[in-house]
Amino acid sequence: MSRTEEIPGPGGVAAAVAEEAAGWFARLQGEAATGDDWLAFERWLQRSPTHARAYEGLERLWVDLDYAPVARDLGGRPLMAARRRRASRGSAASPGRRAWIGAGAAIAAGLAVAVGLGLWSAPGVAIQTYQTGPGQTRQIALADGTHIQLNAASKITVSLGRDARRVEMADAEAVFDVAHDTARPFLIAVGDRQVRVVGTEFNLRHRADKVALTVRRGVVEVRPADALQADPTRVTIGQMLTYTEGEAGSILKVSDPGAAFAWTSGQQIYRDQPLSEVAADLSRRFATPVRTADAHTASLRFSGVLVTDSEPEVLRRLQAFVPVRVEQTAGAVVLHSR
Amino acid sequence: MQERGGTALIRLYLERRSDLVRFFTMRLRSVAAAEDLVQDIYVRLSGLDQPTEIQNPMAYLYRLGSNLMLDRLRGERRTAHRDGAWLDSQTTRIGTEEISAEPSAEAAVAARQRLALLTAAIAELNPQTQRVFRMHKFEGLSHPEVAAALGISRSAVEKHMMAALKHLLGRLP
Repeated sequence: MSRTEEIPGPGGVAAAVAEEAAGWFARLQGEAATGDDWLAFERWLQRSPTHARAYEGLERLWVDLDYAPVARDLGGRPLMAARRRRASRGSAASPGRRAWIGAGAAIAAGLAVAVGLGLWSAPGVAIQTYQTGPGQTRQIALADGTHIQLNAASKITVSLGRDARRVEMADAEAVFDVAHDTARPFLIAVGDRQVRVVGTEFNLRHRADKVALTVRRGVVEVRPADALQADPTRVTIGQMLTYTEGEAGSILKVSDPGAAFAWTSGQQIYRDQPLSEVAADLSRRFATPVRTADAHTASLRFSGVLVTDSEPEVLRRLQAFVPVRVEQTAGAVVLHSR
Repeated sequence: MQERGGTALIRLYLERRSDLVRFFTMRLRSVAAAEDLVQDIYVRLSGLDQPTEIQNPMAYLYRLGSNLMLDRLRGERRTAHRDGAWLDSQTTRIGTEEISAEPSAEAAVAARQRLALLTAAIAELNPQTQRVFRMHKFEGLSHPEVAAALGISRSAVEKHMMAALKHLLGRLP
């Protein structure tokens, strides 16, 4: 097809090859692409190594652009209309579907509903629910330039309003890279606390009644959800705040953010943590749930890095670090102490 | 009876698994890496919990795998970008307090220069191409959604995306 490959353009890629690569990239991202298109693309890639290089260049720039500072106002009403359609088509949250807030946190739930009423009735505000199953993660680019990376088995609801950007976090873990916008604070309802952000990057984990917040850039403020005027706890770079829902106190300690963010690069880092927590993480990460056989096994401690590439591999490595053996039962993996 | 989207996809996946392995072996230059990735596609498919309407199921499988490749690439690039590639020229202000981002590593500097090039290149695009590119890339709208929002055809969206990508690629060293 292209006979101009010998003439390198900028980036060492001939203009004709760059054009073809861009054409393939655009076509294959559209829903109209067919299986035959992919087979033709395969043949195109095979035709010359320069084709593969050009295509890989596009993939790299596509990923790098995730970090680009994005203009916020992109076209006004038509865009909002599109977003609304999407929200109503998907599993957009409705006030009746909020059971996941958790019956235990009665006060928090009451507050969330109050906030919710204002939220749902605001005109023109699209509400979007994002959810992942076991083994899935998801990149979410919000209209305000904020990026959210959602870990497995997680669910959050997002609404970008005129005065505030709001997220409700059910059982979930996510990294938030929040776009700077002083006029619209970024508010996250998580259990019985509210997390307030202006522009920063942090990991927030809400599993059962335990919450952990680790900050990689900037400052995050945390307040009790029922006392929003109270002096906040401030969490900054290299700190981790942990608390248990329903309990008044929080623990603020120095922490390597790398450990909390490790899941985003396919790792889990543990420091003297019980095997029950490791098993719970693996159950979210992979299709087959992992359980501990008894209380003794559950309480075994583990420190180390687990690369979470595939379930059998992870379990094999785990056995090298912790005195356990693995039993495969129907529908689950059971860890026994040995 | 309507078959659940996930089930039909899994059947197609099993039928065409060897095609997928061949394709991703070429893309990843490794049979083992391709096998892993194709296995990951299966894991994703089993996790689909709602019936999905998919126009081109086979293309969907390829796209799913290609997106997994992009996710892995994201993991690798994150190191270069973290600690302030795209926001580190800014400071964060909370109340009266101003907090500067951490000092950047060399990799972050390179990543930022690259990003500056790309950002400048986006600004050079003609207005409609720029609008299409931004809506698809940054707003996360699909091609049909962009088409509907701007009142243009899907193939026009594709052409704008192609023009934008070609321009950006040409601007990188």
